[in-house]
Amino acid sequence: MGRFASGPKATYIPTDETPQTAQGRAIDRLSTLPWWLIILLLLGVFLVHQLSSNEPYVTAFNRVVNGIGTTLLVTGVGYTLAICFGLVAGLGRVSKNILIFNAATLYVQVIRGVPILVQMLYWSFVIVPLGATALNALGAWLAPVLGDASFLVKIQSRDIDFMWRVTFALAFAYGGFEAETFRAGIESIGKGQMEAARSLGMSYPQAMLYIILPQAIRRVLPPLGNDLISMLKDSSLVSALGVREMTQEARLLAAANFRYIETYSSLAFMYLSLTLILSLFVRGIENRWKQG
Amino acid sequence: MSAPFIQIENVHKHFGSTHALRGVSTYVNKGEVLVVIGPSGCGKSTLLRSINGLETIDAGKIIVDNNVIDAKHKNINAVRAEVGMVFQQFNLFPHLTVLENLTLAQIKVRKRDKKSSQDIAHDLLKKVRIPEKISMYPGQLSGGQQQRVAIARALAMNPKVMLFDEPTSALDPEMINEVLDVMLDLAREGMTMLVVSHEMGFARNAASRVVFMDAGAIVAEGTPHEMFDNPTNERMKQFLSKILH
Repeated sequence: MGRFASGPKATYIPTDETPQTAQGRAIDRLSTLPWWLIILLLLGVFLVHQLSSNEPYVTAFNRVVNGIGTTLLVTGVGYTLAICFGLVAGLGRVSKNILIFNAATLYVQVIRGVPILVQMLYWSFVIVPLGATALNALGAWLAPVLGDASFLVKIQSRDIDFMWRVTFALAFAYGGFEAETFRAGIESIGKGQMEAARSLGMSYPQAMLYIILPQAIRRVLPPLGNDLISMLKDSSLVSALGVREMTQEARLLAAANFRYIETYSSLAFMYLSLTLILSLFVRGIENRWKQG
Repeated sequence: MSAPFIQIENVHKHFGSTHALRGVSTYVNKGEVLVVIGPSGCGKSTLLRSINGLETIDAGKIIVDNNVIDAKHKNINAVRAEVGMVFQQFNLFPHLTVLENLTLAQIKVRKRDKKSSQDIAHDLLKKVRIPEKISMYPGQLSGGQQQRVAIARALAMNPKVMLFDEPTSALDPEMINEVLDVMLDLAREGMTMLVVSHEMGFARNAASRVVFMDAGAIVAEGTPHEMFDNPTNERMKQFLSKILH
């Protein structure tokens, strides 16, 4: 939200058109106030009031709150995994090894071309069942070694909870975006840094680890922070597969009592509150790292 | 006499359709200072960079202390351990302090412990005359100070030869001498050096030999006296008349 916070630029260059009267200056000052923030705060006050006194709102709020843990869990686990996928794939994207480069590029291009919801369906209903079948076959083949009842034979796709399937899908999708973020960060560090590190005898991995990545990651913290907030919002997609996070709880409630306005207003309010809190948190981390 | 410390034999290098090095051959003996001069784009930096493998070569070979580098560019790591490099743009690590810039490679590459690597760093910073800047970040130093830290960083690895790629070209005029003085000290101590530079004063005072390159080839070679006072090569005379005022 940083970029909106300052409001329209008010530069006072005295010209003939500059309002000279006190009234004119007051109007000028009013136009630079952050009206969006005032409106938001008023809406918030109104909703908080409703949430604490208006019965349907109280019901909706309590129901949505039930899903907050799952929403945060999906976001937290998904984001951590996404950073790992993204870092590995981002390093692959700058690799001179043709195999690694092409594998990473294939990943990024596929991810970017398929909607996240479709990716979630695909992981849940195609890859996980196929993977279970493949493991079973492997277990059967290894039966002479592992025995007839090894875990490989017993594994079934229904053992893998939908929440983990979609969380993984979300992480895999975001990993593709983070890969490009990391690649851009790495490429923004001058060639001379790698040359200096290598000419001191460091290996390529050492130079990456100690010289390039610390500088690159500091540089891409703002986009990484934005993606954390995006992921919190996109975690609502997992409701399409029945995972009971905030959005799913709201849908279930609204389907039962038809209180759409109260339910979805509460839901939107919750997301907005969470993203605002998260963006403050992200900005705090950015500032800390910038100094460090 | 034993074999030269660096032997460069008939080296060729192409950048796309540009033939950057056209059969360059020369040598540097132990303890010698070889200064390479020539107009921009003549291939002198490329030659220097191919000695420690920052550029690969297409044909010919470079032998550094009995390690052979050729078109298959093997042995790069063995060579890099012996060769220190100083860049035009300093290339200090901006996220590390001066001390960390000097100790990181000692610890990770030379496997020295923290204490001894810091002792070495302290000594070298005294040698380049900025011991007081030890805990600063590169961005807080002037260009001349940064370049001296860069020299100290390279020396911390105990290289047998130092390569300087236009070390004073990115400096403000008043900072050039503080860097050249450090390089002169090194030359007097008997460090083997290969210097690409336009500083004719340094070449006169410190060079054992001067090599003049033009269009990817060495066109003249000799002592500073032969090269600057009685140049015989026409192209060299032209070049000197332009840079000496």
